[in-house]
Amino acid sequence: MKLFERAGPLTQELRLAPGGFGLGQVLERERPDATTTMTCGYCSTGCGLSVHLRNGAAVGLTPATEYPVNLGMACPKGWEALEVLKAPDRAAVPLLRNDRGQLEPINWPTALRVFVARFRAIQAEYGNDAVAFLSTGQIMTEEMALLGALAKFGMGMIHGDGNTRQCMATSVVAYKQSFGFDAPPYTYADLEESDVLVFVGSNLCVAHPILWQRVLRNPHRPEIIVVDPRKTETAMQATDHFAIRPKSDLALFYGLARLLIERDWIDRDWVAAHTNSYKEFAAFVAPFTIERVASDTGIDADRIERLAQTIHEGRRVSFWWTMGVNQSYEGTRTAQSLVNLALLTGNIGRPGTGANSITGQCNAMGSRLFSNTTSLFGGRDFENADDRTEVARILEIDERRIPDQNSWAYPEIISGILKGKIKGLWVIATNPAHSWINQSQLGEILDRLEFLVVQDMYHTTETARRADLVLPAAAWGEKDGTFINSERRYGLAKKVARAPGVALADFSIFKLVAEAWGVGPMFRRWESPAATFQILKHLSRGRPCDITGIRDYQMLDDLGGVQWPFTAEQERATDGGATADPATHRRLFADGLFYHPDGRARFIFENPRPMPEPPTSAYPLLLLTGRGTAAQWHTQTRTNKSAVLRKLSPRNPYVELNPTDARRLGIAQNEPVLVESQRGSIAARAYVTPVVAAGQVFIPMHYETVNQLTDAVFDPYSRQPSYKACAVRVRRASACPP
Amino acid sequence: MVSIAEVEAHPRDFLDGSQAAHLTPVDRYLAEQQELTAVERFAQAHAAAELPLQARYYSSLLPAAPPGPGEQYAFEVDLDACSGCKACVVACNSLNGLDESETWRDVGLISGGSDQQPFQQHVTAACHHCLDPACLNVCPVRAYEKDEITGIVRHLDDQCIGCQYCVLACPYDVPKYNSQRGIVRKCDMCSNRLGIGEAPACVQSCPNSAIRITTVAREAAAEDCELGAFLPGAPDPRQTQPTTHYKTNRVFPRNALPADYYSVQPEHAHGPLVAMLVLTQLSVGAFAVEFAGQLLWPGAGLDATQGLQAGAALFLGLVALGASTLHLGRPHLAFRVVLGLKSSWLSREIVAFGAFALFAAIYAASIWGTAGGLLGAWQETCGAAVVGTGLAGILCSIMIYHCTGRALWTGPSTATRFLLTTALLGLSAALLTIVAAVAVTAPNAGQHDVTAIVAFLWRGIAFVSLAKLAFEASLFRHLWTRQHTPLKRTALLMTRDLAGAAKWRFALGIAGGLLLPAIWLSGDRETGATLTLCAAQFGLLLAGELFERYLFFTAVVAPRMPGGLRT
Repeated sequence: MKLFERAGPLTQELRLAPGGFGLGQVLERERPDATTTMTCGYCSTGCGLSVHLRNGAAVGLTPATEYPVNLGMACPKGWEALEVLKAPDRAAVPLLRNDRGQLEPINWPTALRVFVARFRAIQAEYGNDAVAFLSTGQIMTEEMALLGALAKFGMGMIHGDGNTRQCMATSVVAYKQSFGFDAPPYTYADLEESDVLVFVGSNLCVAHPILWQRVLRNPHRPEIIVVDPRKTETAMQATDHFAIRPKSDLALFYGLARLLIERDWIDRDWVAAHTNSYKEFAAFVAPFTIERVASDTGIDADRIERLAQTIHEGRRVSFWWTMGVNQSYEGTRTAQSLVNLALLTGNIGRPGTGANSITGQCNAMGSRLFSNTTSLFGGRDFENADDRTEVARILEIDERRIPDQNSWAYPEIISGILKGKIKGLWVIATNPAHSWINQSQLGEILDRLEFLVVQDMYHTTETARRADLVLPAAAWGEKDGTFINSERRYGLAKKVARAPGVALADFSIFKLVAEAWGVGPMFRRWESPAATFQILKHLSRGRPCDITGIRDYQMLDDLGGVQWPFTAEQERATDGGATADPATHRRLFADGLFYHPDGRARFIFENPRPMPEPPTSAYPLLLLTGRGTAAQWHTQTRTNKSAVLRKLSPRNPYVELNPTDARRLGIAQNEPVLVESQRGSIAARAYVTPVVAAGQVFIPMHYETVNQLTDAVFDPYSRQPSYKACAVRVRRASACPP
Repeated sequence: MVSIAEVEAHPRDFLDGSQAAHLTPVDRYLAEQQELTAVERFAQAHAAAELPLQARYYSSLLPAAPPGPGEQYAFEVDLDACSGCKACVVACNSLNGLDESETWRDVGLISGGSDQQPFQQHVTAACHHCLDPACLNVCPVRAYEKDEITGIVRHLDDQCIGCQYCVLACPYDVPKYNSQRGIVRKCDMCSNRLGIGEAPACVQSCPNSAIRITTVAREAAAEDCELGAFLPGAPDPRQTQPTTHYKTNRVFPRNALPADYYSVQPEHAHGPLVAMLVLTQLSVGAFAVEFAGQLLWPGAGLDATQGLQAGAALFLGLVALGASTLHLGRPHLAFRVVLGLKSSWLSREIVAFGAFALFAAIYAASIWGTAGGLLGAWQETCGAAVVGTGLAGILCSIMIYHCTGRALWTGPSTATRFLLTTALLGLSAALLTIVAAVAVTAPNAGQHDVTAIVAFLWRGIAFVSLAKLAFEASLFRHLWTRQHTPLKRTALLMTRDLAGAAKWRFALGIAGGLLLPAIWLSGDRETGATLTLCAAQFGLLLAGELFERYLFFTAVVAPRMPGGLRT
């Protein structure tokens, strides 16, 4: 009760003290007694986070200063990664829907018994393939592999896919067809080494802020070209922004190819030595005259010429794309049109070059190699008998247990439910009831299932609320395993926090399911994530993704992750990774050898197709969706759990509307509006801004309602949904009848 | 649903299945799940590193030397490098140990331009460590200090009593009230880190190196503020002279506006302050009217009402002061306000009203009891002191709001409001107590004089009500202003989000202040009916003034830095 108190308990509460471990000042009350570095579990950037530990448990984190990916920085999600583990709606105990339709706590043995009994009953009645799984890019590689092996080899499922279908399936197919293997060729260092960077459909500043950091570290004063219909944050930072008409990207890149060929601005020797089908490609692009492209894209002809010239003059040109390309009805060909440009100009295999897909989720790349869904383990083919034999031998299982047919992709699994072919579904760490395209229809489809199991860290996701059985999963930070980031880097995540209640690591849940299903012995060697990693090494041997040179988790920990491939030979050559350089930044195709049997890359091309649902007089606007802020992740199941992250983005849906359209529609700034498509109608606030072009509107994908509007159209090759183009109309909410 | 805590307390309840065969593996995995062994399994990196590793990234973002004479530290934000990731906000929250939703730094969005050249710019902002900090100037307990060398404006958390006056005064919405602790907290430029050569959290964490600390010459910083150009949509820098420098090579388009520019949201209602202001004004008004009555109509037979009126006024005055302590986050430390008498209107207000309460108590006691004899001739002087200190207190109240610089709260406007409330409720209370006293004590004594006085009071109430309602309603003229001024926003709020409260306010004011006087003046003046009418007018007017004051707080537009989109 002093009259003047300069420092007392309230000051003490925020007092700092030297943290040790190279951390600088930390909160005195949270001083660590150890630290450990692990890979972040949100996006594909794969940042290293230094977790501060006390008695083995996490008390805080800071971005790891020396991690070769993020160089001491993190985005808001990473900073808050531990906080969202403490949410009160964590799934802490298995839940089973009772006769009254409510989810009721049960114990694990009951949960496992019900799981097995219901799925087995469905398989007995309708066949093994009547049970399917939908997995994720959010769990560890070892977990994905165990799930894929268990579901397909153990439980006899044929169909299983991941939410990665929504994020990078297009790049997978594009790379497979063009390079012969799904292999993003780059390292993040390329962002710093280019003199021309071309970003297509990629709002890096918001979606991958740490990669933007790497761009800013580029000392070559690079030309930064952004191709995006919106004036995004990244477009604002560009040296030149091409605000093309939505879905005119394919025409633009074919037109650029034509210009480059016409002016002989291509690397003829390299093309001749390392590619196939150049002649056909050159003939194909001939009709893409600059006039046609200018008319298709809405970009002036002279600007297109200048862009061609910029690409020509660049000595190290890199092409980067994200969801603006992938999530399209012709995304595969668009991605390949960028690959074609890199091949034409010989911008591949050298520092600062490449046709580079920036992936979405923290382990999308792990799922590409080891989820055993679209491809058999290690990028193999289910339909190839030799591949099946090899996998059976490595895993010491009966070859007949490996399906000889391909799995349905996500959209086919969904329509399989609709057609009554799939009756049981196991959903792991994903939230299709929010994220899948044409959401209202999906809700009805999920209701047709006889048994829906959702395995998640929260029991409140839109999908978990529909489940018959909820299995409580430990989250990132509560379990071990590896993620593979966009630049093919294996990074290690560790158990540094205790899972709530009786939640278990997905790995443990899969092991328990295997036991309960009666196939436990098949997975005897899959004893732990670390042991499974050794199995993955075997599966990778001799494949383009060979990681036999990575000794163990400790080696990943010591080196700040390792990019694939890292063969046993490379390991010996680099002295076990002690000479860090080769293990730190490596790119593919320096030798010009691609993975097709003839060693050559392919030019792949196809005529652009009209937009499936162009604006009409009834629905005159085109809806684009995408990421809203760096503080939001996908369906916000996690980021919504952090109070500080919640403050960093608008809470409720908004729609960006061009001032011209707003004036025409009589809509004022911040006014409540309805956005309607043929499929649904949602409420939003108008954000009137020229950032979005006239005739287009933009809604962030994080709001639950947005996919009530989107149209279930897919790329025919990748089966990836085309989220970013459907026709809508907008009107004042007050002008609508109640 | 079983809570996590329950499961954790009795994990075995969830293990004991009927199939013993499954017991063992489940048990084993559950036990494993709770083991934390990362420290044992992996080599410890940097165990011996004492110096901060991050220094390699931020050392170039700090000034080479501490500020010299006439200089101070300042934030410099490179807008061209800020891409809006908001890592600075979260890193500040995390590295400084703030509460989960507490942020000392925020990122806003400015957009505009044309279809040919669309424009958007994120803007990160924390405390501007002003040359003339409003927070410091208004603090009643000297809980702010501006460091002489560094110029950092620090808040002394333990000295704070939680009056939140700084929150109202800062044009940049910097001090954040923390209701859990009952104090305000704010950015101190991580002065502890800076002091030992480490970078503030925001500087350390910006992936784009967009925030740095510089030393600025105070005079030059003041000159920069004179131009009035700080950031589009930001409050006028001449008010407090912020030192943050926003640099950019871009040209802001002329229509560049904050994303929240057109969104209007009600501000905090500050219930205890609503009650405190209205009731102090009622109390002072009642005393003033009573005092004036004694002077105007000596021997008018009002003696009987005197006691009732003084007692009621005192009681309400004390309720008001009690309510005001509810507003404080740490009321037990309210005595510290004596420290701010030299500079803070809040200190002065509390002292003035304290004196008012003291004199009022003596005065009331002198009328009620035998104490009257003790005061004797001093009673009138004491009455004058009551009124004088009360009016001084109201003057201080007016100045408190005037000093915030908010458009709705300017001195003349607030004075009109507060003084008319004082007059209105004073007349209203006087009317009620006179009529009540007459009805209870001496129905026949001096009937004629009292009726004249009552009629005078009814007329006065009608007159003041009309003036006050007209004054308040005149706000709506701003609806037709073309510019989106703060007063237009206030008017908009009162027609949208606060339309309900506004309707009540005017309905109550008209009913109690115009309708009832008209009824009384034109009709039946029988005592019983008069008493009912008087009680009704007092209730209606008091409620009306409470609504008016609620709108005074909620419909005000608080200046702030450009904000993000609000939905």
